[in-house]
Amino acid sequence: MIEILDIHKSFGSLEVLKGIDLKLEHGKVLVIIGPSGSGKTTLLRCLNLLEVPDRGSIILGDAKIDFTGVKKVPQNSVLSLRRKTGMVFQSYNLFPHMTVLGNIMEGQITVQKLPKEEARKRALALLDKVGLSDKADSYPHQLSGGQQQRVGIARAMAVEPEVLLFDEPTSALDPELVGEVLKVIKQLAAEGMTMVIVTHEMKFAADVADKIILMDNGNILEEGTPKEVLEHPKSPRALQFLSRLSGE
Amino acid sequence: MDDRKIQILMDSLLPLLKAGVAFTIPLTLVSFAIGLILAVITALARLSSWRIPKLIARFYVWVIRGTPLLLQLFIIFFGLPTVGIILDPFIAAVIGFSLSVGAYSSEIVRAAIISIHKGQWEAAFSVGMTRGQALRRVILPQATRVTVPPLANSFISLVKDTSLAASITYVEMLRTAQQIAVTYEPLLLYCEAGVIYLLFSTVLSALQNYLEKRFDRYSAS
Repeated sequence: MIEILDIHKSFGSLEVLKGIDLKLEHGKVLVIIGPSGSGKTTLLRCLNLLEVPDRGSIILGDAKIDFTGVKKVPQNSVLSLRRKTGMVFQSYNLFPHMTVLGNIMEGQITVQKLPKEEARKRALALLDKVGLSDKADSYPHQLSGGQQQRVGIARAMAVEPEVLLFDEPTSALDPELVGEVLKVIKQLAAEGMTMVIVTHEMKFAADVADKIILMDNGNILEEGTPKEVLEHPKSPRALQFLSRLSGE
Repeated sequence: MDDRKIQILMDSLLPLLKAGVAFTIPLTLVSFAIGLILAVITALARLSSWRIPKLIARFYVWVIRGTPLLLQLFIIFFGLPTVGIILDPFIAAVIGFSLSVGAYSSEIVRAAIISIHKGQWEAAFSVGMTRGQALRRVILPQATRVTVPPLANSFISLVKDTSLAASITYVEMLRTAQQIAVTYEPLLLYCEAGVIYLLFSTVLSALQNYLEKRFDRYSAS
């Protein structure tokens, strides 16, 4: 289970998160939507401490970190939280000097200290899951964007995280490649993977989410089931944002 | 060219090559290896968030870059004995050249590390790596590729710079040429030494090409 309490984050004088509270049960999918600059990516990045919140606390499984009044979060706490999460990036960020298999094995070998053979076996199984068994020995630059992103998903899963974080996983993709990536994410959802997804794909959000939050200006504007948020938003701001999207 | 000159050329070729292989090359290799380690340490110190190592690294680069290499060699070899530190010419030369390579190359290494996209650090962190692990497994291997051309440049410069060791009595190739040239044909001998230096540099350039190609296998361009 993930619980975040009163998370605040500023970049200089700009307050990007203004006290976010959120709870997500194990095995559920949370989708974060909102206009650009609303703080949704920052919130996601706070969950694995790529951004360190200024205030508030995060609880993930048995890891609990309180940021209030803390100057520097101890490295142990940072690592313990990061090792419970996996992240899929908008621009994939695969390791270009490693093969596809190497990318997926890297965390298991370097971080989890698994024997090479076992890491390899697990990596191959994951590669099969994302439908890229034949690309094991390719380098990232030899793959299409959609394939790279599926490798990114396999890499994130390889360290067996309790929750997977997706930062606009399809935004950098050509339209015809979006489907293959969304399909993999949907499959993970069906298997009961806990996920937090920042996306602009509304139809996908409606399909996959157990819960949606709509952020605006560093606050949560709407929160609820896809039906509640997407079809019956309460605030005029949310209505405006959603109608602009559907107008596209 | 008369027979005497050809004879001198032939007679001096072996001693010159020998001096090159036995003295110039070892001095270059040892100095470069130590210099590279110094360069990485210095670059990391400059990039770290610790104040003291950062200051020390900056001071080191500032001093070495700002003074002539020949002067540094003189201080190490002729100056240090006055405070009781007497060094073998080879050791003195290694210290001087290593410090020089370390300072100049640290800038190359630093620039290469900075050039790696921030997303690579984040991806490494996201699979749970520490900073050190990310550096070792993800950042440095990619930075290495960026450093090959400029470091090859430094390496080739170093081969030639080792001739400065002649001035602190280290009998490398130039000094050997000097010793023979005193009695015979200076123009001929220095040109001969020049050709041998050229030969060494050419081999190294070929090595550089090979390394660049090898690293190219994972880049799209």
